[in-house]
Amino acid sequence: MQWLDGFIQGILLGGLYAQYALGMALMFGVMRIVNISHGDLMILLALIGVSLSVSFGLGPFVLLLVLVPIAAAIGYVLQRGILNRVVSQDPLPSIIATFGLSIALQNAMQQIWSADTRSIPGGGIEQASWQIGTIFIGVLPVIVLIVATALTGGIDALLRFTKFGRALRASAADVEAAALTGVNPQAVYAWATALAVGILGFAAVFQGLRSTVAPSDGPAQLIYAFEAVIIGGMGSIWGAFLGSMVLGVSQAIGFRINPGFGILAGHLVFLAVLAFRPQGIFGRS
Amino acid sequence: MTMSINIPGGLPRARVRSQTVSGIVAMIIGIGLLAALVAMPWWAGQGTIRSVVELCCYIAIAQMWNLLAGYGGLVSVGQQAFSGVAAYMMFALAQNMGVNPFVAVPLCLIAPAILAVPTYALLHRLDGPYFAIGTWVVAEVVRLLTTNFSYVNAGAGMSLRVMTQYSAHERAIGVTILCALMLLVTVGGTYWLLRSRYGLALTAMRDNPVSAASQGVNVSRLRFLLFVAGAVGTGLAGAIYFMAQLRITPDSAYGPQWATVAIFIVMIGGIGSIEGVLIGSFIYFFADRWFGEYGATYLVVLGVLTLLVALFARGGVWSLVNKLVDAPWFPTRRVLVSGGGQ
Amino acid sequence: MSAALLSTHGLKAFYGDFQALFGIDFEVAPGEVVALIGANGAGKSTFLKSVMGVIRVAPEMVLLDGQPTGGAASHHMVAKGVGIVPEGRRLFTGMSVEDNLRVAIDHSAGGNDTWSLGRVYELFPILEEKRRDLVQSLSGGQQQMVSIGRALLNQPRVLLCDEISLGLAPKVINEIYAAIPSISAAGTAIVLVEQDVGLAKKASDRLYCMLEGKVTLTGKSADISREDISAAYFGAGHAVA
Repeated sequence: MQWLDGFIQGILLGGLYAQYALGMALMFGVMRIVNISHGDLMILLALIGVSLSVSFGLGPFVLLLVLVPIAAAIGYVLQRGILNRVVSQDPLPSIIATFGLSIALQNAMQQIWSADTRSIPGGGIEQASWQIGTIFIGVLPVIVLIVATALTGGIDALLRFTKFGRALRASAADVEAAALTGVNPQAVYAWATALAVGILGFAAVFQGLRSTVAPSDGPAQLIYAFEAVIIGGMGSIWGAFLGSMVLGVSQAIGFRINPGFGILAGHLVFLAVLAFRPQGIFGRS
Repeated sequence: MTMSINIPGGLPRARVRSQTVSGIVAMIIGIGLLAALVAMPWWAGQGTIRSVVELCCYIAIAQMWNLLAGYGGLVSVGQQAFSGVAAYMMFALAQNMGVNPFVAVPLCLIAPAILAVPTYALLHRLDGPYFAIGTWVVAEVVRLLTTNFSYVNAGAGMSLRVMTQYSAHERAIGVTILCALMLLVTVGGTYWLLRSRYGLALTAMRDNPVSAASQGVNVSRLRFLLFVAGAVGTGLAGAIYFMAQLRITPDSAYGPQWATVAIFIVMIGGIGSIEGVLIGSFIYFFADRWFGEYGATYLVVLGVLTLLVALFARGGVWSLVNKLVDAPWFPTRRVLVSGGGQ
Repeated sequence: MSAALLSTHGLKAFYGDFQALFGIDFEVAPGEVVALIGANGAGKSTFLKSVMGVIRVAPEMVLLDGQPTGGAASHHMVAKGVGIVPEGRRLFTGMSVEDNLRVAIDHSAGGNDTWSLGRVYELFPILEEKRRDLVQSLSGGQQQMVSIGRALLNQPRVLLCDEISLGLAPKVINEIYAAIPSISAAGTAIVLVEQDVGLAKKASDRLYCMLEGKVTLTGKSADISREDISAAYFGAGHAVA
């Protein structure tokens, strides 16, 4: 029974990871832009969320409505101001630029919010759960999973069926050819990053509600998102979603084997995927 | 230093110069500095020695990162896996197995070398940016394994109590000699490598890996060798750093601050050059001394500076200097002084 | 001069310090087919890149409808009615034939709706059959058809074609060149960049021959002799093969 419980909790945890991973799948997998500060941006948004909810007494739903546009604006500015300048065949400038941004963000957050862990008050929803036999299923984690699924489906449809999605895929395939077909790749990338960071706005609120956030948590979230994208298979939006599930289940089962082994189990599954199926579980070889 | 090349078939003799005045001056200064470093226990205080040892470790780690990123195109943000694992191996050899700690320093390098092989085998499948984050995962895995490993006292860390058998003066002598050797191996070794027959291949690979491969450079083999060499050099710096600290914990050994320092030094100083690493190391060292007390604010500035260099001045300080004067400290170019039409 | 749809005046282009074009004067009128020939490295592709804003040039060096447009970004040129079939086809891999075409429809120049998916499929029937296939699974000739179709769906008034015969079998080349008259019949001006002199001469009304970044010969295609072309193509002093 504890294994079934581990599996279910892992799937629910995967819902949260999917929200980190979705933005990364878009930037990393589709646009091939690396953003080392991905996790730090999520933490920044969560801390802004904490302050907003404490100062103005905003409930979780209103907070989402406020935070997601802020997140999208940050993403747009990030792409216009920094990432569009460093996009090239050579990955070094974008790694270094966003690495520097990551260090600056982490320490700036520490200055503003101190190193303490905080969370977003959810008005009781964070404790609510259903009991099925001996297994407790949290209401909030289920909401997180539903939102993650809806976001994944929405992004996937956006990429497949809209003008914006085609322009983005075309730019990712060949920037110059896209421009010669009338696409403005810099504008398309800016909106795509706005979308990717906007999704982090959802992740930030749910992370703040489900557990805690501290200024130094960003790198761990970056790594989880990255692992989910690679496990699932680069370039596939649903792959990142399923990769998140695999990561969540690995961690939850690992945790039940030994509490010190939980996160390590996730890393080991990632390395095993690299060793035996480098194109990812759902990727094309 | 000039050498003559005799081209068979009676072509005119070509004379090639590969050393410069600035290079010879720099070499003399370098030898003088190394001698001063080894003599430190007789002229400097404990505090100064500790600072200089730290500086030497920064130089070594940054130089190894430069070798990987600047020449091999292998951008790693997880080199702390190798410095940490070497330092822990050294502590285990000296503290748990009774090996003389100064002997344990070279012996422990087997650990980063062994770790580098599977790491590279797994991660080389990932391209550029994915490789970078992959190295971070490996560093995290090693940190978590160490945290769960009771033989090295798990998360609580270890102290190098065996060092108490030596006086402070004896310890200083041992550590400064190790530092001098470390600089010889990492900085001198890189210089030697760049001037050797591999040097041209490395420079070609830095400038364009695809065309280097088409010119007969075995890029993947060279990258693998660079990765292992970089791991060993980084490990050496880690072992010496923590020997001087006398204490190690998983968080200090595998913390991301190592990557931060290496990246800052190389990017500010100038990637793809030895001079850049030295300049960057001095800038970092003094910035840390003068502004380190501002803690987080100082690190914000460091991060923003790294970002700005990546955006606007990819070559760092050394490339700006290069635009003004042509006086390399470590000349690696070969210049044709006469020949051809004679 | 006043009838020119697209023209360049003293066009100079550089790659860093290296000058690739030395003052090119060129023009094309509506419905006209103009060929641009020259050996590898003569500057033909550089010329197209300069017109399309891939390489930055001074505004007054490129005129569209008499208005200076040199240095405008590629997507602006497309929006103003200049379409291009880039060298090497440059399709969007990982996308279907129809999605490749739709990108162009999404970003077509305003004020013109000559081309539709249906008309492109009429021109190249094989594409309709393959419309759901990923472009990388197509043959070279079929890929070239997608690339031409994509450029047409931008609704260009001037269509620039960069080496569309390159690497294709003669039969396929004929099939593709057979489409040229029906494109220009719709009033679209066409600039054909070609290495195959015979092909270019036959398909065009006028031609320009380039050598080392300069125009060495220009005139009506029907009036220019092969000897003149050879001299302009290889430079003075080269014997005619």
